[in-house]
Amino acid sequence: MKRLDWLSRCGLICLMVLVAAAVAGWFGLAGDPAAIDGDRLRPPGAAAWLGTDDLGRSLLPRLLEGIGATLLLSSLAVLVTAVVSTALGIVAGYVGGAVNEAVLRLVEVLYAFPSIVLAILVAAVVGPGRPAAMAAIVLVTIPLMTRLVRAAAATVASRDYITSAVVSGVGMPTMLVRHVLPNVGGTIAVQGTYALSIGILVEGGLSFLGLGVQPPQASLGVLIAQGGIYMVAAPWLVIAPGVVLVLAILSINVLGDGLRDRLEPREARSLT
Amino acid sequence: MRLFTWWLRRALSGAGTLVGVSILIFIAVRAMPGGFAETILGPFATEEQRAELAERYGLDQSVLVQYWNWFTAALSGDFGTSMVSQQPVGAELASRFPVTAQLTVMAILAAAFIGVPLGVLAAVRAGGPGAGGRGAVVGRLAGGLGVSLPEFVLGSIVVYLFSRYALGLSVGGYVPLGDDPVGNLRAMLLPAAVLSVFAISATARTTRDAVLNVLVEPYVTAAVARGETPWAVIRQHILRNAAPPVLVLLTTVSAYLLGGAIIVEYLFNLPGVGSYVVHAVGRRDYAVVQAGVLLAAALFIVLNVVVDLVVGLIDPRLGVTTAGRRT
Repeated sequence: MKRLDWLSRCGLICLMVLVAAAVAGWFGLAGDPAAIDGDRLRPPGAAAWLGTDDLGRSLLPRLLEGIGATLLLSSLAVLVTAVVSTALGIVAGYVGGAVNEAVLRLVEVLYAFPSIVLAILVAAVVGPGRPAAMAAIVLVTIPLMTRLVRAAAATVASRDYITSAVVSGVGMPTMLVRHVLPNVGGTIAVQGTYALSIGILVEGGLSFLGLGVQPPQASLGVLIAQGGIYMVAAPWLVIAPGVVLVLAILSINVLGDGLRDRLEPREARSLT
Repeated sequence: MRLFTWWLRRALSGAGTLVGVSILIFIAVRAMPGGFAETILGPFATEEQRAELAERYGLDQSVLVQYWNWFTAALSGDFGTSMVSQQPVGAELASRFPVTAQLTVMAILAAAFIGVPLGVLAAVRAGGPGAGGRGAVVGRLAGGLGVSLPEFVLGSIVVYLFSRYALGLSVGGYVPLGDDPVGNLRAMLLPAAVLSVFAISATARTTRDAVLNVLVEPYVTAAVARGETPWAVIRQHILRNAAPPVLVLLTTVSAYLLGGAIIVEYLFNLPGVGSYVVHAVGRRDYAVVQAGVLLAAALFIVLNVVVDLVVGLIDPRLGVTTAGRRT
């Protein structure tokens, strides 16, 4: 078993620091995110480490709240994606035939939408807000993950141990859960990691367009959109959440690369 | 011939996907919580208003007939009228489309002419001395940073820098390409640059992987042994064989760019399709949203089919090994 390389470990550590920061913010260690302390658009300094926003709220607790909201929203959505994609992908890949064809068609349709376009459609139908952002992340991440899990399951289905299990009379549900699922676990973990970074991107983009999380609720996308209005007078309002967002996506991607190198056999990789 | 039937199958499956997409869009808008009529008219509409709306949108007909009317009209370029401005949506889309297309094309050109050489360079270097050393890590981080830098973050910073300091280019001031080509390019350069960062990094990454896969092939060693110049080896052996995955990636990237263009247009206040659709969502102008989303998906599907044709021409083996390439 190879250990993660140092770059991926840096990513993992960075991600854990962000989660810890969000938890600290949640317990109010950095102060109340909604508290107004008077001065508007104050530059970063001793009183407010990251400065204050247009309403005189300190940015640091807002930023921590935003990190928490973005990470929680994206992780929940990716969890839903993982469950749906795994179920669809395993069944399609193992059973094959008409089921496989139906799943592939469905996924192909979802895949035809550029992600932000699909997210906008979801926001138009559900109405802007947190549920729209979550639903958008789920729908955007399902196609790729389902495809790759399906491909991995199809490879597993042709292995000798599956044949021998069939011969020993193992039933379909047991087969899928006991034999196929564990063998596509690596693919699920890797794609789930990548899906998380796509989720953060989608939430950010949608909220930036004013169609995702709605202020006064905070999320990284909301903070960047709101800060953008005062960009020239108070650049720190965009720079801080922007840096955190990029750091989160970068560390998740690096972690995903490391996981992929460790968990997925080289021939199973696709170039997507 | 075999190639042609293979490609025809791809084109037909693309058409099938387009129908699926249109059904999904249609159902999504009709299935809105509260119902279509309620959402448009609000809760306090009179019976006459309801009847008028039902007549105008054909709501009294069966769902299948409604869908058929909408889809066939859309195919002929009639996307209905905007529920807010009462203007035909098709004409508005047509007048805004050149802006979005120009942005996307500029970014794709940047990806092809900057991303591909960078990727080749990275791959050729990776085989030489110092492979896997500090340079490789820096390259990996830079490439990773490029694909992790969303347009709305990068764009906001670019807008700030260029509006705060005099850097030669100004933000905004869009003029159509036909009126003033120089002014148009000056206005489009920054948005296109912001949009292309992701495309360039993603293309460089994929090109690098594809070239690395080709470099180990015996025919490359043979070409080098025959004494062919490095440029000839790269052009005739490496690029041609590394092209299919890069071309396929370019379709994925262009889909991404169509989405990214929405954000860039919104940020730089360009009169493209993206900003039209985003503002339409805020105004609950569903005819516009439907049309814009359908247009984006249709473009992506067409692009996919075209690239499949090109890839088939470059690599005739695909026609023989049949489908399954993209599964």
